[in-house]
Amino acid sequence: MMEDRSPIFECRDVTVRYGDITALADVGVTFERGMIHAVVGQNGAGKTTFARVLAGLVRPAAGSLKFSGRSHAGGSVNDARRAGVELVHQSFALPPSFTVAEAMQFGAEGGSLFTRSALERRWQPHLDSLDVKVKARQRIRDLPVEIQQGVEIARALVSEAKLLILDEPTAVLSPEGTEKLFERIRRLKARDVTVILILHKIREVLAIADTVTVLRGGRLVDGPLDCTEIDADRLAELIIGPAATRGLNADDKAALTGSATVAHAHIETSSARKNSVLEMRAVSTRADTEGPALDNVDLTISAGEIIGVAGVEGNGQRTLVRAISALVDVVDGTLAIGGDDVTGKQLAARRAAGLRIIPFERNVEGLSLSSSLWENWSARSLLQMPLLAAINPVTIQKRCAAALNRWDVHYANVAQRAGSLSGGNAQKVILSREMDEDARLILAAQPTRGLDIGATSFVWDAMRDAKARGCGLLFISSDLDEIFDISDRVVVMLSGRIVAEFRPPYDISAVGAAMTGVLK
Amino acid sequence: MTERLVSVLRAVIFVLLGLALCGIMFQLAGYSAPLMFQAIADGAFLRAGALQQALRWSLPLFITATGVALSFRAGYFNIGAQGQFYIGAVSAAFMAEWLNGAPAAIVIPACIASGMLGGAAWALWPGLLRLKSGADEVITTLMGNFLAGLVLLYVTAGPLKDPSGSGQQASSRPLDAAYRISDSMGLSPTIVAIVAVVGVAIWLLINRTTFGVLSGLAGRNPTMVEWQGARTWRIGLASFLISGALAGLAGTVELMGPNGRLTGGFLPGHGFTAILIALVANFSVVGTAFVALFFGGLASAALYLPIMAGLPSAAIDVINAAIALFITAKSSLIDRIAKLKGRTWKTS
Repeated sequence: MMEDRSPIFECRDVTVRYGDITALADVGVTFERGMIHAVVGQNGAGKTTFARVLAGLVRPAAGSLKFSGRSHAGGSVNDARRAGVELVHQSFALPPSFTVAEAMQFGAEGGSLFTRSALERRWQPHLDSLDVKVKARQRIRDLPVEIQQGVEIARALVSEAKLLILDEPTAVLSPEGTEKLFERIRRLKARDVTVILILHKIREVLAIADTVTVLRGGRLVDGPLDCTEIDADRLAELIIGPAATRGLNADDKAALTGSATVAHAHIETSSARKNSVLEMRAVSTRADTEGPALDNVDLTISAGEIIGVAGVEGNGQRTLVRAISALVDVVDGTLAIGGDDVTGKQLAARRAAGLRIIPFERNVEGLSLSSSLWENWSARSLLQMPLLAAINPVTIQKRCAAALNRWDVHYANVAQRAGSLSGGNAQKVILSREMDEDARLILAAQPTRGLDIGATSFVWDAMRDAKARGCGLLFISSDLDEIFDISDRVVVMLSGRIVAEFRPPYDISAVGAAMTGVLK
Repeated sequence: MTERLVSVLRAVIFVLLGLALCGIMFQLAGYSAPLMFQAIADGAFLRAGALQQALRWSLPLFITATGVALSFRAGYFNIGAQGQFYIGAVSAAFMAEWLNGAPAAIVIPACIASGMLGGAAWALWPGLLRLKSGADEVITTLMGNFLAGLVLLYVTAGPLKDPSGSGQQASSRPLDAAYRISDSMGLSPTIVAIVAVVGVAIWLLINRTTFGVLSGLAGRNPTMVEWQGARTWRIGLASFLISGALAGLAGTVELMGPNGRLTGGFLPGHGFTAILIALVANFSVVGTAFVALFFGGLASAALYLPIMAGLPSAAIDVINAAIALFITAKSSLIDRIAKLKGRTWKTS
């Protein structure tokens, strides 16, 4: 069979605006049929918007789209479907209470009335043919993330898709899960499906893709480039941009782009034994709707130390933070902050002992978006006063303004709503509140998620500064590169337990194996 | 545009929209809209004595509405102001009965305290149900209104029944004139002083204490405040109790002021109008003062509607409802307008 290399997708001068923000500007690319195309860029580069344009979820303000040579207006999911385009979202969109078979049927055409067993008989062969190891009767919520993703892909392929787009599929996976995903993608390529992968890490691009396209700030930087003809360093520069590259050290640059694994952090050998700021002894909790139970967790963090927590999302990282923050009941074990037992103490008492939290959900747990900046900023210190203490808002607002300026937050005035800030600036407001002089133990939960390069390296530097001041930090991230870059020690969480601990130099394959339970 | 100006404009626009809607409705129904508006303007503010009438209605409304604003602002939708108003009045009436014969300097403060405690007690149980078991306070406080209405009927027809009453309407024995804090016109230095104290105290509480900032944050995003280590149940319980106490205080003022006795089902719309006032005022104490004056004016105009425009006085309830309709729909509507107008409404 002759290989068909005609373009499956072309676009010219595509521009997308959300309100005042231009998400994509004059992007024009051509993707050839039957290949694996990577689209890379930092957060805010426009990758997801690009994927949504292809899938018909966003109608461009300007520009032209062509699928297999035929023009499309864009902005219609049905048109894109008919052209054979399917998108697998970054955050999974399958209804958790559905069975796998029901989820399959949901995306398919044809059929009206089905019994459950008929549905299962219909879809089991499809799942088997894609090597998704799952029973069609299982419920989505009971499946591990990797299988869920397999089901998502299988669902996208129910209607003979010719162009499959995966939006950051590796973000939720362990290194091993990523490898399995890549095998699956290669098999799809063999079945003549063109795949567009939205990716974050150069290492992954070079491992899987035939071509790479780089976006930065909503513009096309270059591409599609042949992956055999580009090296990691060159690609890193394209992604970060020449201006930003200058301010970064080599390890940070590598961690930002995943061009190479940072094998060792900056090891500091301290002669004096440092005081511990956190000591958890055999801590167990109960499972609840927000995550699995902690099972016999021992963890010590010393002053001036950053402990990275690696693990596939949903393995108890959230429960760990909530347990230290007294937001979930500890049923067994003890917990001490700065040497004082706080096992039975409320969060207010633990905060008084020096606990600070940069929560997972910036916009829900970290800030009240419809409240003013100064109210958000002052909440922590106000809570250390009596409930009826008199305050002078003007003084607080002045102190808030001074703090926000010190933390380089871009804002108009302290009375503006927190929701009007960009993600990076919003995170800086939280940092300015939580990384104060009296902090001793800082829980940083996914502090760089969704931030652009500048904000990400700002957060890293803030964490290093806090460490230099003698704080102990717990750093939770799903990005192994940044964990390795920042952390003095790395622990791995699996099913609510700490299953392994690593010291520099870090071995990504060993950490990855621990994340999936294959201890070496 | 400052945020404050925007919210004032919002309130004015929605009130005007409500009035316009009613004008159109009544015009279509065969009444005269111009005459209706004339009657409202005259009856509320322009006629001699109208302003006095408007104040008579707006002062108790202001007391209840500040409480409602405080609890709504903290994220607790206490819509039981009507019930708390009744129970407050009943508690004060019992206190007056019990202390009957004692000097006014003792009886009046005792009745006020008792009325506030009664109102707070009627907010305590829905508050505890919400905080301890998660029972929706909208449902419990709403049901509490009906219960309180029945309690009021029982009291006026039973323990405090006026034996000389006609039997037409159950009512309690009239209060001794020495214990009244105003005549039936409902305006006196005492009532004005009570209103001033309430206004200043609640303003200070909201704007000059940690409770004010934290309850405002908790009302908009309780999760964030919990992650800061706040014991949100304390904020919640305080909001319930204060709003109940203020509704109870308004009931006491009505009892000891213009009414002078309990009557079964008196001022049936008081608590709901107070909720409307708090919503229109966007939970600001200063705003509540102005909006209460406006709705007090509407209440006063109810007398003039039948005379001047031939409308039943219940037309005022229709106007209130129309304003409520717009004000509760305001957020999405304003957002849509803001989008169409290219975000000129977005505050800096």
